[in-house]
Amino acid sequence: MLNKKIALHTFLLALLFAGLFVAGCKDNDDGTEQENITTVVLHFIGPGFDREFEWNDLDGPGGNAPTVQTIELPPLTGNITCRVHVYDRSKTPAEDITEEIEEEADEHLVVYIPDASVSATWSYDDTDSKGKPLGIKTKWQTNQPSAGNLRVILYHEPTNKDNLSNPGGEVDFDVTFPVRIQ
Amino acid sequence: MLNGRATIVGYFLLHFAGALGGQDCHIALRGHVTDADTKEALAYASVFVKEIGKGAITDENGWFAIPNLCEKTPYTVEISHIECAHFTQVVRLTENTVMEFRLVHDAILNEVVIHEKALALPNIQAESQVDRLDLEASKGVNLGEALKRLPGVTTLNTGHTIAKPVIQGLHSNRIAIVNNGVALEGQQWGSEHAPEIDPFTADKITVVKGASGVRYGVGAMAGAVVLEPAPLRAAAGVGGWLSLGGFSNGLGGLASGAVDWHLPSQSLTFRLQGTAKRSGNLRAPDYFLGNTGAAELNLSAMAGWKNTRWTHDVGASIFTQQIGILRSAHIGNLTDLQLAIESPVPLNNRDAFAYEVERPYQQVRHYLAKYRTTYRLSEKWKISSQYAFQFNNREEYDVVRSTGSAADKPQLSFRLWTNTLDVALEHFPIGHWQGGIGVQGIQQTNLVGRGGLIPDYRALGGSVWLVERWRRFPDPWEVEFGLRYDYRQTNATTSGSLTNIDTLVHFANVSGTAGLTYHLGKHLSATVHTGYAWRPPHVNELFARGIHHGAATYEEGRPDLRTEKAWNSNVTFQYRNRQTEAALTLYRNQIRDFIYLDPQNTFVLTVRGAFPAYFYAQADAVLRGLDGSLTVPVLKSLFVESRVSLLRGERIVPDSFESNGDKKHDWLPLMPTDRFQYGLRWVIHRKSSVGASRSDDVSTAGATSLRLMATTAVRQSRIPAAGLLKAPPPTFTVLSFDATHTFHLNNGKKKEAKMPLEVGLTVQNLTNTRYREYLNFFRFYADEPGLNMGIRAKLLFG
Repeated sequence: MLNKKIALHTFLLALLFAGLFVAGCKDNDDGTEQENITTVVLHFIGPGFDREFEWNDLDGPGGNAPTVQTIELPPLTGNITCRVHVYDRSKTPAEDITEEIEEEADEHLVVYIPDASVSATWSYDDTDSKGKPLGIKTKWQTNQPSAGNLRVILYHEPTNKDNLSNPGGEVDFDVTFPVRIQ
Repeated sequence: MLNGRATIVGYFLLHFAGALGGQDCHIALRGHVTDADTKEALAYASVFVKEIGKGAITDENGWFAIPNLCEKTPYTVEISHIECAHFTQVVRLTENTVMEFRLVHDAILNEVVIHEKALALPNIQAESQVDRLDLEASKGVNLGEALKRLPGVTTLNTGHTIAKPVIQGLHSNRIAIVNNGVALEGQQWGSEHAPEIDPFTADKITVVKGASGVRYGVGAMAGAVVLEPAPLRAAAGVGGWLSLGGFSNGLGGLASGAVDWHLPSQSLTFRLQGTAKRSGNLRAPDYFLGNTGAAELNLSAMAGWKNTRWTHDVGASIFTQQIGILRSAHIGNLTDLQLAIESPVPLNNRDAFAYEVERPYQQVRHYLAKYRTTYRLSEKWKISSQYAFQFNNREEYDVVRSTGSAADKPQLSFRLWTNTLDVALEHFPIGHWQGGIGVQGIQQTNLVGRGGLIPDYRALGGSVWLVERWRRFPDPWEVEFGLRYDYRQTNATTSGSLTNIDTLVHFANVSGTAGLTYHLGKHLSATVHTGYAWRPPHVNELFARGIHHGAATYEEGRPDLRTEKAWNSNVTFQYRNRQTEAALTLYRNQIRDFIYLDPQNTFVLTVRGAFPAYFYAQADAVLRGLDGSLTVPVLKSLFVESRVSLLRGERIVPDSFESNGDKKHDWLPLMPTDRFQYGLRWVIHRKSSVGASRSDDVSTAGATSLRLMATTAVRQSRIPAAGLLKAPPPTFTVLSFDATHTFHLNNGKKKEAKMPLEVGLTVQNLTNTRYREYLNFFRFYADEPGLNMGIRAKLLFG
């Protein structure tokens, strides 16, 4: 009688454990998804030219150093449009993050910082739903032949889109391209 | 107190006695009689077993032995001592038993706690036990908070909700957390990975300081946190407790409870226990800490069954937790970090109260199942084995674009399966030696989601250990030694876009421990202890590669790291009488091949900009320190309490280019600051006839305890020459207050109906002081929480 009871309780406990084990081991699907920006492309279209310049770091932080192409633009040219494309090429197929940025335009801001030595000016050519700049599309005007660097920063969830030198939020990418106007 | 010649009754054994009708009448009851208040041994207490008309007197150290008792026969044991209440307990023995009898001074108490001591040896090593009042007051926060009040123990925090214990300056993979006999296997290597422990399951928490590898395995190089549940209900019937609590800061609430059911007329007992917690955004004195809510749900079940020779224990638990990470602490790159450091208030902060947790957050689950059995081979020998299974699942959710493919998924996931098997052969004193020998095996599989900082790995390990201890009453000497050999192999693999790794590494080493205690009379003892322990480098130290967000550093492992070896020596003096307690530990921990992150003079260029590079490196290190505690009465029921922790940690910089052979020194990063705690405790026992003691036990009816404590942490001025991103925060002092009172419901009726109800009030950061802790990673971003009032009630029933 007593032994039967004990046997029953032991059985119930064994069942409880079995349940735990199954719960523990069944879940074999990994299900994580990283958001890696590996590639930033600047696509310049102007009178008589259409060129793309890439910043790539396919293996992520560390390992191989990023590869960066030099932006080459003709001097004394106005009406150049630039479109930035952002990709995660560590995935197959590559994920186009640009679309996600445009869908959440209010929560993003791209800022362009050319060196003082670079003889060019730029302006925003797009806005978010509140009429504030986004920066996926920009307009450029080049002047005298010159050289230097162009820093491009994407801010996520900026707190003040009017303060381009410190819009707040956090940096999603911060890449620098060499520039040559010749 | 009492004086006179020592009468040694303990430790004589039962070599003659016949069997009676198949019943075993060779059983001996050994007992240790202590004062429940002071935990001091009671000499010259008289012990009388009614049924056989025999008795004994406890020796100078409180021990007695009564041989030739029959199994399964109820005996009434009466214990009396001139200073204490008369005490009666019915025992029914199934084997040679060592019991602890705690006598209480007050006249009211007949409810004496009986605690059968396991064969496991008490530690000779420096250790501190969390005071019962502190434990009850801090259970609602987290494990780290409960430990923080001990000298030599502090926490490494990532915000307020994630706290890891630090013992004498070392943490994570260098200490072990042992819950109910099972070493916790989670992702301990990460500084933001808090231990998956529900403090409400613990009845007693002990911190073992110094090299404890022999006892707790390779993880316990610098110490161990040992949690023990309350023993299962010994008498037939139902009993348990229910605890409720609330906190003003974060508007947190919690409920926890346990029920024990001991089946009538057999030795089978069940326990069910559960805890639920929820809290919202905490508030610093000047602002809310956005996204610092947390939720927790834990369940555990235990069952125990005994007969003459066998003991079986099974247990299972589930721990689930969701912790929000301060939104302001989520930064993109070094520029963001510098802006955050320079800003006096947190940037990107959601300065409002909310319970909802948004990204970034962590979601952690820990499952445990264990089975332990003990078989009594003979009167002196016991064999036991324990199998434990653990599954740890940690998911970290980062801030991502809500329309991207990552929007509904975690960015990091770790799944760790651990199987351990322990077999031990232990013995009661043979020629005054008590100890055991054992083997242990461990198998682990760790799967890391894509993009994790560390590779996947499979590990196998085995160990053999031996511990023996010598004590002969009334000799003042006590000696302990232990030896252990461990072997560990790890196969680390990765696949994916990162560089592929497929490496097998193995490590083996010996650990040792030796201790010597000299009892300078009843109240004072001096202990010298030395231990040698090691640990293999963890997979993150060998193979990590990536950005450590939050710290904005690029970290890279070194596959050729050697094992880390610690040689820890300490001297402890302890004085303890009814009202006064003092303990002082001086220690020196010499670590060979200490593994640390070494700041490089280079930056690693990534898509988020340049990050400073830190590589794992090894060098010899020395940690020296002092832990002290003191409780003295100033008035009849007013006590002064004080605790102090001092620590100096330095690393020897190998400089092979220097011709004179001088070694350079550099301070170790993240060493606990010098810390002082001091305050007053007022203990009132309503019916006390002999005056208050510095009692932890306020579960007596009408007992009240009030305490005001101040904690001063001195600014850490001993910092490494390079690599510290922000200067250590200034010296601060915070005040805390707690009050506890115990009511007895249904008082005046028959004894059995009494239900103690313990109510408490806790106030942390009483003056709403703005401060930051050096060992909190979020000191870059925000102040510590401000004023927090907590109330709690605990009802014991059955």
